[in-house]
Amino acid sequence: MDLPIKMLTTAVAVPVFGAFLIPIAARVSVPVRNAFAVLLGLFTFTAAASLLTTVLGGQTAEYAISFPRGFDFILQADMLSVFMASVSAFVSAVILIYSLDYISHYENQTEYYAMVVLFLGSMMGLVFSANLLWMYVFWEMTGFASWRLVGFFRSDRDVAKANKTILVTVFGALCMLVGIIIVYFEHGTLDLRALHGAGISYAAAACILAGILSKSATLPFSTWLPDAGVAPSTVTSLLHAAVLVKIGVYAYARIFGVTFAAPDAFSNLVLYLAGASALVSAGAALIDTDIKRIIAYSTVSQIAFIFLGLASGNKTAFAGALLYILMHSVAKGGLFLCAGIIEQNTHTKDINKMGGLFASMPWTGVAFALCSLSVMGIPPFGGFFSKFMVFSGAAQNGNLAVLLMFFAGAVMTLLYLVRLFYKIFLGEAAGHDSPKEGSYTMVASVMALALIGLALGALIYYPSAYAQLLTANLGVNLQ
Amino acid sequence: MDKGLLAYLIIPLFAAVVIPFAARNRPRLADVLANVTLLAGLANLAWLALRPSMIAGGFADIPGDGFSLLLVAAIYLVALCVTFFSAWFIEEGLPNRQAYYSLILVSVAAMTGVVTTSDFFTLYVFVEVLAVTSFALITTDESAGGIEGALKYFFLTFPASALIIVGLSILMMTLGSLSYENLRIFMSSDIPSGPVTFAAALMLLGFVIKSGVVPFHAWTPDAYQGAYAPVSAHLAGIVTKISGVYAIVKIATLLRFFDGRATAVSEMLMFLGLLSIVVGALAALKQTSFKRMLAFSSISQVGYIVLAAGLGTPLAIMGAVFHLFNHATFKTVLFLNSASLEKAAGTTDMDKLGGMEHPMPWTSWTSVIALLSTAGVPPLSGFWSKLLIILALWESGLRTYAVVALLFSIVTLAYFMIMQRKVFFGRKSAAAESASEVSAPLLAPAVLMSAVIVAVGLLFPYFYTYVRVVAERIIL
Repeated sequence: MDLPIKMLTTAVAVPVFGAFLIPIAARVSVPVRNAFAVLLGLFTFTAAASLLTTVLGGQTAEYAISFPRGFDFILQADMLSVFMASVSAFVSAVILIYSLDYISHYENQTEYYAMVVLFLGSMMGLVFSANLLWMYVFWEMTGFASWRLVGFFRSDRDVAKANKTILVTVFGALCMLVGIIIVYFEHGTLDLRALHGAGISYAAAACILAGILSKSATLPFSTWLPDAGVAPSTVTSLLHAAVLVKIGVYAYARIFGVTFAAPDAFSNLVLYLAGASALVSAGAALIDTDIKRIIAYSTVSQIAFIFLGLASGNKTAFAGALLYILMHSVAKGGLFLCAGIIEQNTHTKDINKMGGLFASMPWTGVAFALCSLSVMGIPPFGGFFSKFMVFSGAAQNGNLAVLLMFFAGAVMTLLYLVRLFYKIFLGEAAGHDSPKEGSYTMVASVMALALIGLALGALIYYPSAYAQLLTANLGVNLQ
Repeated sequence: MDKGLLAYLIIPLFAAVVIPFAARNRPRLADVLANVTLLAGLANLAWLALRPSMIAGGFADIPGDGFSLLLVAAIYLVALCVTFFSAWFIEEGLPNRQAYYSLILVSVAAMTGVVTTSDFFTLYVFVEVLAVTSFALITTDESAGGIEGALKYFFLTFPASALIIVGLSILMMTLGSLSYENLRIFMSSDIPSGPVTFAAALMLLGFVIKSGVVPFHAWTPDAYQGAYAPVSAHLAGIVTKISGVYAIVKIATLLRFFDGRATAVSEMLMFLGLLSIVVGALAALKQTSFKRMLAFSSISQVGYIVLAAGLGTPLAIMGAVFHLFNHATFKTVLFLNSASLEKAAGTTDMDKLGGMEHPMPWTSWTSVIALLSTAGVPPLSGFWSKLLIILALWESGLRTYAVVALLFSIVTLAYFMIMQRKVFFGRKSAAAESASEVSAPLLAPAVLMSAVIVAVGLLFPYFYTYVRVVAERIIL
């Protein structure tokens, strides 16, 4: 095996199997376990990122194990999968590092680390799989890991929410399995490479879409994400908001963006659904008072913008959507980590009980502001470019109703983030005793994410060139 | 009779006779004898089927039709787990302890007889032996629940035996033979369809009752709940599958040779299978007793096997055989874990349990593996068998059946999520405060079976090759 294939297989195998060694490492000592978990995360990121050079050189790496009935286990590193793997492995590695401090005083830590790493491994498997059935297998594995993670605190309410999460996403996944079976009998294969450019029937597309929407928390399956984001620790909600929901987006890009030629009416349906999702969740974010719920609703709303880009059937919009995945992961990660610092130091999640925190937590405030600006799409942040490309691409397609919906959604994004910032950091202090700034590592990690968001805006040439090359090479049925 | 496998019948029978005499003054000897007998048999089977040259050759040299061998392996595996578990679970001073082991071994012998025989009359005889031993096994628990369960079992399954014997007589009168080989030849020839269909329908009805398919499921929850926990693992894991479901698969494959002259019977069977899936899963949602929930779950899972058997295409038979094996593994884990819970916390009432994962992490995690496999979550074994069944349904154009069967996985998952929340997850209950993990020997069977579940799931290609050989041999 040459090096890229080795990297490809280890990027999947090391975290998946390593996760089961974490309980054994925990028997040795706590620091060993923590170091092992972080190492697994960093290794996975390195392996995934090392494949960037391969795919930029115009090559792909493939690895296959033969299974009966065309259920072959195929891993494939192309531009899209490597991009997605690098982004999610990066965020997951940051989460693992941040967790060292954050969860050090809770129960079930070993399970937490094992599940985050298993989640990361399943995510890698999902992203690199070039067989629909194996995408489904890894899809369910991520669902299992997130079930344990949402139920991290074991109160009845948390466990009920964990069960809601897994039941909603597994229901969607079963719909998707029906879709996969339809594809299997229509085309006789589930190998995505062989299916490149093939047509897909409405029934199959609709079933697969149901699975995607349930995982990415888009209407009508959006309700689990705010619940999952509230109950457990911040790191868990971050994992869901920044990584898990991207699974659905990735699956859409993989299945309908670069494999099947989706029917036009189907893409239109997705646009309207996404538009409604953007509006409804932005509205919910405007009136909610729980800081993490607001950020979770904001995620639902922003995911809809990614769908806008992917479903517009336009090259600029598609590339913009890919950039959006990157920008949103970084900025939303920063927001969630800020929320974690705020929650830990003020001991409340209710924004009405905050206010005037800027004086006591200036660094967190600055990082929060920078990340918010990126999510809003204000130049020169990275978020501006991705939003701009999505909108300009979608405008070329000329569906005015959809554009107006999303324009309203973008304005509302502005409003709820300004409101959130004002309520937390400005205004009058509301019954708190000026909590102190977060610990050094925590503030450093949020500042790092905020500055990366800014840097991505300044160096937008490189990621956008990558996204455009990807779109040109792999895109199907794009104008 | 498949003579190559005869030893697997005779040796446990012999051990069953020896145990009461040998262990009269040394009660521990009964445990040792029973376990050693079964372990030796299992090791032998593993060598027979899993030696490297056999795997490399794609299982082409498997003796007999392969189906018998697989099921004998499943019987021995479940029975070994049950006896090993019982050795530590059942108190030493119990008066009918030796009888208990003898009964388990006799039921193993009877089940081996059922799956290795080559004619329906012998099958019937062994099924009756099995019914009597199960009846006695349920009453080993001398509480009112045990007697009630045993009586229900008796009253519902003995009419079933009557139906089967009537069906057999009609078949004998019409065709003059009951051996599978001859039946297969007769079925493909031009014989009058009326009496044969009628006989097959009667026999199927009998076996459907014995396997606890809806609407004849009333006896299973009571029998499983009333019996000793290891006995319910034995019954649910393997006995009802062998005494009912195996024969259903057998008859259904024979009916396939009938050239579509008995489609009504097959369709009825499929409908009952689907009904079982639906009713069993919905009923399981409402249970508060762990063991009753498992019993309804068992009904629901048997539905998948019956549905696939009724369909009868090669792929469906593969799925049915595969699911039969998988069901034996995961249901045994869950029933044994319910026994562990009973031992550690003193109850299996889910409302009184909670937070048991802290004192009992191994029990909790093996339950999670088993329940995910039951619900068909990949990459565990249950996913593949369900997938095969659903692909088979879809392939035959029965899309509604396929989608309903698939979507009821979510109900399966839902009731297990409720169970997991009430028993293992959640806030610590009073029971969890005082309980502690059961000893390692009690955990060993559940861990072994969980390992089998994971291994079969990950090594699916090998298992697939095996069940394909089975399907080819029993259908072609």
